[in-house]
Amino acid sequence: MFDAAFLVRRQAPGLLLSGACYAGGLFVGLAVSAFLLVQAGVPAGALVDEFLVATFLTSDGLSQTLTAALPLVLVGLASAVAMRVRFWNIGIEGQLWLGAVAATWVALGGIGPEPLRLPLMLVLGAVVGAAWIALPLWLKLKWGVNEVISTLLLGSIAFLLVQHLLFGVWRDPATNFPVTAAFPEASRFAATGWGQLHYGFLLVGAVTAALWYLLDYTRVGFYADAVGHNIKTARAAGLPVGATITGLVLLSGALSGLAGVTIIAGTEHRLSQVVGNGYLFSAIVVAYLARAKPVWVLVVALALGAVFTAGNVLKVFYSISEGMIVLVQGTVLISILMAQFFSTYALSRPS
Amino acid sequence: MDFLIGWLAIIPSYATPLLLASLGLIICERAGVLNLGAEGLMAVGAMTGAIIVLSGGNPWAALGGGAVAAAALALLFGLATVVKRADHTLSGLAIVAIGLGMTGVLGRPYVQKTFPGIETLGDLFGIDRGTVFGRIVAVQDPVTIALPLVVFALWWWLQKTRSGLRLTAVGENPAAADVAGIDIQLTQLAAVLASGVLCGLAGAYLSVATSHVWVEGMVAARGWVAIALVIFARWNPARALLGALLFGAADALVPRLQAIGADFPVYLTMTAPYILTLGVLVLSSLRGKTSGEPGFLGRVYLRQDKH
Repeated sequence: MFDAAFLVRRQAPGLLLSGACYAGGLFVGLAVSAFLLVQAGVPAGALVDEFLVATFLTSDGLSQTLTAALPLVLVGLASAVAMRVRFWNIGIEGQLWLGAVAATWVALGGIGPEPLRLPLMLVLGAVVGAAWIALPLWLKLKWGVNEVISTLLLGSIAFLLVQHLLFGVWRDPATNFPVTAAFPEASRFAATGWGQLHYGFLLVGAVTAALWYLLDYTRVGFYADAVGHNIKTARAAGLPVGATITGLVLLSGALSGLAGVTIIAGTEHRLSQVVGNGYLFSAIVVAYLARAKPVWVLVVALALGAVFTAGNVLKVFYSISEGMIVLVQGTVLISILMAQFFSTYALSRPS
Repeated sequence: MDFLIGWLAIIPSYATPLLLASLGLIICERAGVLNLGAEGLMAVGAMTGAIIVLSGGNPWAALGGGAVAAAALALLFGLATVVKRADHTLSGLAIVAIGLGMTGVLGRPYVQKTFPGIETLGDLFGIDRGTVFGRIVAVQDPVTIALPLVVFALWWWLQKTRSGLRLTAVGENPAAADVAGIDIQLTQLAAVLASGVLCGLAGAYLSVATSHVWVEGMVAARGWVAIALVIFARWNPARALLGALLFGAADALVPRLQAIGADFPVYLTMTAPYILTLGVLVLSSLRGKTSGEPGFLGRVYLRQDKH
C-alpha cells in the first residue's frame, strides 16, 4: 500500500538533510519524552530545572552528571567499536558485570601489592570482559551463530553468577544483605573533592582519546570501516577481515569490563545487585546517536549522564520510577530511527 | 513421586507464556520482520492485565486488554520497520526499552498488589484432587488447555491456506511476492500486529494467570527466551510447542526444588535454560540452510532495490 508512491534510495544524502532529520528526530523524541513525564506527574515547569539547570548549571549537578557519564562513555565506546564491524554486542551488561566481579575479587582478596591494586583491578576487569565476549565471537566466526542472541544469553548468565556470589560467599557478614563488604582505600579511585567525581575521569579521557586515534587515524580504523560497509569487498581486497573483527569485538568486551570496574572502584566501592543495571540500552543509544564516533560518544554520554542525574532527582522528589531513564532512551532512539527515513529515501512518482 | 507430580503440574503454566510469545514471533518472522521487542511487548501486556484486574475488571478482559496494549506498541514497531524501513535490530531494542521503561513509570502504583486470577479447571469442573490425574489437571487453566488447538490451527493456516502461504512468501522472497500482487507492507504490518497481540497475551498470562500480582521486571528475560525458542522450533509452530514444554520444564525446576527444601545452588541452576538455549542456537546454526530461517528475515525490502 505504501509503494504506490515509489521510494527511491538517495545515493548520497546531503549533510544538511541528514542533520535536519537527525535534529528533527531528536526533537520529537525529547518532546514525546517530556509529554510522558508530565503525564507521569512531573510539573511541566520543573522539567527545565531538573534536566538543564540542576544537571549542568549548578556545581553539584555538573559533578554528578560528569560522574554518571564516565561509565556511559566506556559502554558507549564498547558498543561503538563493535558496531563499526557490524557485530551486535547485546551482552554489554554481562561483560560489565564480570569485569566488576574480577575487580571485586582483587579488592576483597587483597591480591597484589597495594600500589598496584587498582591497576590490577582495571586490567583484570578488561581481560575478563573480553573473555566473556570471546565465545559468541568465536561461534559467530566459526559457524555463523547469531551474536544478538548469544551475547544476550551470556549476559543473563553473568548476572546469575553475580547473584550466586552475592547471596553466597560475598554476602556482607556485617549486614547479611546481598552486597559485598566495602572496598579498602587502595581499591578505589581517589576522589577529586568536587562532588562525587573521582580520578577515573583521567582514565576515561585517555581511553576515548586512544580510540579516537585508533579509529580515525590508523589502518585499523580503515579496515574496520571497510569491513563494516561491505564485508565481501573487504575480503576480496585482501584485508585482514577476521583479525579486524576479532580485535574490535574483544576490545568491545574489554571496554565493557572496564566500565564495570569504573563503577565499583569509582562511586559504589562495593559490588551489589544494582550497579550494572540499565547499561545495555544506554550503550546502544549512546553509540547509535554518536554514529559510533568516539568524540561524539563523549558528547552523547554527557547528555545521557544528565538524564541519569535528573532521573535520580525525579525518583526522590516525584517518586518517578528509574524506568523513566530507559523510557526516554527508547523514545529518542525510535524517533531518530524513524526520522532517518527522510534522509535515506526520496519519494518519486511511479512512471 | 510427589516431586515429580508437582513438577509436571506446573510445567504447562511455565510453558504457556513462552509458547504464546514464540507463536507470535513465528508469524512475524515468517513475514520477514525480525522482532526483538518481545520482552517489551510482554512487559506491557503483563502490566496492562494487572491494572485491569486491579481496577475491578474481569481476568479474561484483562488478558484481552494486555493483548491490545501490546499490539499498540507493536504498531509503533511496525511503523518504524515496515513503513519507515528502519533497522529491525535497533527498532526492536528501542521497543524493549520503551516497554520496560513505560511499565516502570506507569505501573508504579500497582506494584505488589495481589489479585484473583483465572479460574483453574479444578475450580470450574470440581475435579477431584485426590488422584494423580486430578492433581495435575486441576491446576491447569482454560488457556493452557486450548493452546495445542491454537498451535494446530496456526500450523494449518501457515501450511495449508492461501493467506498463510502468502505470509511465508513475503518473508522468503518479497520481490517475487510483490510481483505476484501481494501487498508486502500490509502483510508485514498485520504480522507485526499479530506478534503484538500474542506477546501481550503471553505477558498478561504471566501476571493474571500465573502470578496474580504485578512487579517491575516480572517478564524476566522470557521474551528473549521466546526469540531463541523460535530458532529452536525452526519457525514451525508444532516444534515450538515441544520447545516451550522443554524450556518450561527447565524453568519450573528451580521453584520445585526450592519447594521441597533441597539444598542446591539456586542461581547456578537458574542458568540452565540459558545454557540450553545457547546449545540449541549453536546446533541450529550448524544445520545451516535447513534451519528454516526465512530468507529475507530482518532485511529491509524496497521495490526498487535489486534483490
